[in-house]
Amino acid sequence: MYDIADVLPAGTISELEPGTSLLIAGPAMSGKQDLALNLLAAGLDGANGLLIVTTNESAAACLDDLEQRVTSLDHDRVGVVDCSGSSQQQSIRDIATQRVSSPGDLTGISIGTAKLMQQFTSQDISSLRHGLVSVSTLLQYLDLETVFKFLHIYTTRISDTQGLGIFTIDNVSHDPQTINTVMNEFDGMIELRETETGERKVRIRGIPDAPSGWQPL
Amino acid sequence: MNDSDAPVVLIVEDEPDVAETYERWLQDYDVRRVETGDSALAQLDETIDVVLLDRMLPGMSGADVLAEIRSGAIDCRVAMVTAVDPSFDIIEMGFDEYVTKPPDREQLRETVERLLHRATLNGELQEYYSLVARRAALESEFTEDRLESNDEYAQLVERIESHQADVDETMGDMASDSEFVGAVREIMDDSSGTDASDGDEFTDLTE
Repeated sequence: MYDIADVLPAGTISELEPGTSLLIAGPAMSGKQDLALNLLAAGLDGANGLLIVTTNESAAACLDDLEQRVTSLDHDRVGVVDCSGSSQQQSIRDIATQRVSSPGDLTGISIGTAKLMQQFTSQDISSLRHGLVSVSTLLQYLDLETVFKFLHIYTTRISDTQGLGIFTIDNVSHDPQTINTVMNEFDGMIELRETETGERKVRIRGIPDAPSGWQPL
Repeated sequence: MNDSDAPVVLIVEDEPDVAETYERWLQDYDVRRVETGDSALAQLDETIDVVLLDRMLPGMSGADVLAEIRSGAIDCRVAMVTAVDPSFDIIEMGFDEYVTKPPDREQLRETVERLLHRATLNGELQEYYSLVARRAALESEFTEDRLESNDEYAQLVERIESHQADVDETMGDMASDSEFVGAVREIMDDSSGTDASDGDEFTDLTE
């Protein structure tokens, strides 16, 4: 089981079955990336490895985000596929990074993740949390059909390797039909929204035993 | 059995004895044989499904031939035949599979079959996608109550399930690095020029 204790509201879910992939959906600035990183970083307390595909943020920024969450981060357990187009190569200290020229290069992304996974395997790390932030960027570069096919292949890989997948999507910049189609590839969805008073709320769908309805995050 | 519908396998191997052996093992396919990289590229066209490419060729190397294939418009599956264990390199170079030399009959046939099987993946995923997109369209159009009593919807849900099983069988073992990257390459090779018509298909349904 993948431990996610204390990330989501008490009484919802505190662990996830190996092979699960979740989609975090919410409008801009609703905390999707924060929540994704919290769910991913929760594994660094245990013996999990972390493999993040980042489309907007550079690998260096991603590493900073993780260091804010985990005291004495073990750099050997983090790998990043950076397709943000950033050129800050020098600022990445010692985490394994694979660069892909564009978020539209799905073959490059798959090769990058496969290389990082081999590295984890050689370190005997078999429980991997996979992050992909974000699906929305892929949809800016590729048509829905291609992104759908890729998500089918990638979430199947996560399931076949007993990993945990955490993906994000902006559910305001795409129509409901697109979100619904993408959702087909995931075991469950975590929706986020911000109330008028600025409070963040979360709703979990598709995960057995998780209470339905909006809860404060 | 060598009818024109049989999948086409191009063997690129400079040792005639070895190439003949492969051809015998693959006799139920339409096999073509060449001895150099240059002639392989000259032979390459849309009809070729799988290329068995020897790593050590006189003149142009297997890796160079592959790079040429990948940079061109022809999308076919390429297995490297090599005496040395190539480890991860083959994936980065763009090979779909590798066979260690000398291969045995079963090994060679399994590799060719796996690659031919994968050739159908994009089409199957495309059909699966259009079913899922259609269901998504119905779901955003109608309330849950109305969907429950809708026969088309019920059939669609059933078809999606059986299709998913087919797709997953075709995908193979996604825990394997080469099969995973090969599957993604398969959807990317064909991704240009497939979009417009599908989009129209489900727009009609919702209007």
